Amino acid sequence: MEFLFVLLALLGGCIREEEFDDSPRGNFEALWKIIDEQYCFLDYKQIDWDGIHDKYKPLITAGMPDDGLFEVLDNMLAELKDGHVNLYSASNMARYWDWYLDYPRNFNEGIIERTYLGKSYRIAGGLKYKILEDNVGYVYYESFSDGVGDGNLDEVLSYLSACNGLIFDVRNNGGGNLTFSTRIASRFTNEKVLTGYIMHKTGKGHSDFSAPEPIYLEPSNSIRWQKKVMLLTNRHSYSATNDFVNAMRYFPNVTVVGDKTGGGSGLPFSSELPNGWGVRFSASPHLDAQKEHIEFGIEPDVKVDMDKEDEDKGVDTIIEKARELLKVG
Amino acid sequence: MLLLGGTLRAQSREEDRALQTLRADSSARTRFVTRATLYGVGCTNLFDTYLSPQEYKGIDFRISRESIRMTRWMGGKLSLQSFFQADVGYAHNRADNNNMFSGLANWNYGLHYNFPITSNFKLLAGGLVDLNGGFVYSLRNGNNPAQARAYVNLDASGMAIWNLRIRNYPVSLRYQVNLPFMGVMFSPNYGQSYYEIFTLGNHDGVINFTSLHNQPSLRQMLTADLPVGRARMRLAYLWDAQQSKVNGIKTHTYSHVFMVGFVKELYLLRKRH
Repeated sequence: MEFLFVLLALLGGCIREEEFDDSPRGNFEALWKIIDEQYCFLDYKQIDWDGIHDKYKPLITAGMPDDGLFEVLDNMLAELKDGHVNLYSASNMARYWDWYLDYPRNFNEGIIERTYLGKSYRIAGGLKYKILEDNVGYVYYESFSDGVGDGNLDEVLSYLSACNGLIFDVRNNGGGNLTFSTRIASRFTNEKVLTGYIMHKTGKGHSDFSAPEPIYLEPSNSIRWQKKVMLLTNRHSYSATNDFVNAMRYFPNVTVVGDKTGGGSGLPFSSELPNGWGVRFSASPHLDAQKEHIEFGIEPDVKVDMDKEDEDKGVDTIIEKARELLKVG
Repeated sequence: MLLLGGTLRAQSREEDRALQTLRADSSARTRFVTRATLYGVGCTNLFDTYLSPQEYKGIDFRISRESIRMTRWMGGKLSLQSFFQADVGYAHNRADNNNMFSGLANWNYGLHYNFPITSNFKLLAGGLVDLNGGFVYSLRNGNNPAQARAYVNLDASGMAIWNLRIRNYPVSLRYQVNLPFMGVMFSPNYGQSYYEIFTLGNHDGVINFTSLHNQPSLRQMLTADLPVGRARMRLAYLWDAQQSKVNGIKTHTYSHVFMVGFVKELYLLRKRH
C-alpha cells in the first residue's frame, strides 16, 4: 500500500498535521498550539503566548496524573480571561468565570418570581412575560439557548401592546443562539441599522484577520415595538446576550439599565487534544458599530446596582429604576 | 431518440455469433453499454483541521454505478465513462470518545482514447469531469460542527484493461487512476464560521482554485470481472485519497474499499414509433 502514498507524496505530499503524543507533554503542546494558531484575542489582550508556554512547560512532568495535568492546563487557559475558553474532560470542565463572579450579582431570581412575575405570568417559547401593576410590560429571557419563534414574539408584543413601556430583562442570560438575538432585536427597530462588524482569522498568525465585515440588523416585517424599552443587564449577560445588548443599544427607544455586560464577543469554536479532552476557544470576534471590541462587556446607559436593603424587602432595585425611567420618559 | 436496453445473454452458439458480429460492426458497437453496480465496505481515515487536529479512523460504506460504452468519435476510438459513487463514513478519534460522520457523492463523466496494445490488452487515456458534494460532521463541536465538501475538478484519467484466461476461465482485469489537475473548491476561510458565510452573507474567499499543489488527490480502482454461471461478477478494490490544503485548512479522506457486484452488458435499441 505504501507505494500509493509514495505516489501521493510525489504529487504534493500527504496532507496531515503534526501529531502529538497522548502524553502530558504531547497534550500540553497540542493545547498550546490550538490556542496559538486559532484563538482570536491574543493580540487584543496583549497576551505573550510564547511566555505562557515557557511559564507552564516546566510544570508538565512525564508521569503526572490526569488531574494534575488538567489543573495546569486549566491555569494556562485562565490566562486568556475568556468565558468562551473551556477544557472538557470526563470528570471536569475548566472555565474562567471571574468576569461575573468578581462583580455584584445584581440579580435575584427569587425576587423576580415572587414580587414581579408571581404565579400567573405567561410563557411563550423562552420568554416569561407579564403586565405589571403600573401597566408596564415585563419580559424575562433566561437563555438565548431557549427558542423564541416569530409566532412567540407576535403573541408577546400583541399582549403587551397596551402597556406604557417595556422592560426586557436579560440579566443572568449567559447566551446561546445568535439567531434568537437577531430575531428579537429586529422587533425593536423600524430601520436597517449597522450594529457591528465580524472578523475571522485568515491564518495562524496572532494578527492574521480579515477586514471587518459589517453586520446590519433589518427590521422585522411583523409586529414591531414602538414605545420605550428598558433593557436590563448584569455582569452575567454574556455571549449572544452581549450581542443582543450591542444591537439594541443602537435603537433610539432602547435604554440599557443595570450593570455592565459580561462580554464574550468571540464566536467559540471547538477542538480537541490527543487524549480526547475537548477544547473550546474564541475564534471569530464581533466588534461594535465603531469597530471597537466588546469582549470585555458593554457599559449600560444608566448604571444601577441592586440595593441590599431593597433586596431584603423583596424589591429589585434595577427593575424599579427601569419603571421610574419609563414614567419619566 | 429514446433508447431502450436489455441484458445481453447469448442463449445459444448462434446468438453468441450474432453478438460477436454486432460487436464487430462499427455502428452497432457504440450501442453496447457495460453497466456495473457495486456495493462495498472498507476503512476510512477522516481529517479536517477546521473540526479537529486529530485523524479519525473508522468504516466506509460505499455504492457505485458505472457505465462505459464506445462512441463513434475519433474513428470509434473514444469510450464514454460515467462513474457515480456515494459513501458514508463513521469514524472515531484516537481516544475513542468522539465520532465523526462523513458522506460524499461523486460523479465522474468523461472520455478515454483507446490504445489497443495486443488483442487482449489495451490502454486508455482521457479526461473526466469530477463532481463532488458531501459533508464531514463532528458529533460534539459547537459553532464549527461540520464541514461541507463541494468541489469540481478536471481529472486526467488512465486505464489498463487486460482480458485473460486462467485455465480456460475468462477474467477481465482493469486498473484505473483518476488524477484531478485543476478545479474549484468551496472552503470557509481559516477561522470563519458558517454563520458568517451563510447567515451574514460574507462569501469572500470561499471559492478557491485548486490544482496539484493544494489538492493532491487520487482515485484508483482495480477490478476483476469473473463469470459466475451466466452472470458476470465484479470484484473491486478502490483506493480513494482526497486531500486539500485550502485557506490554511487541511483535509484528507483516505478510504480503502472492497466492493462486489454484477456487470450487465446492455444493447441500446431505437424506440419504435
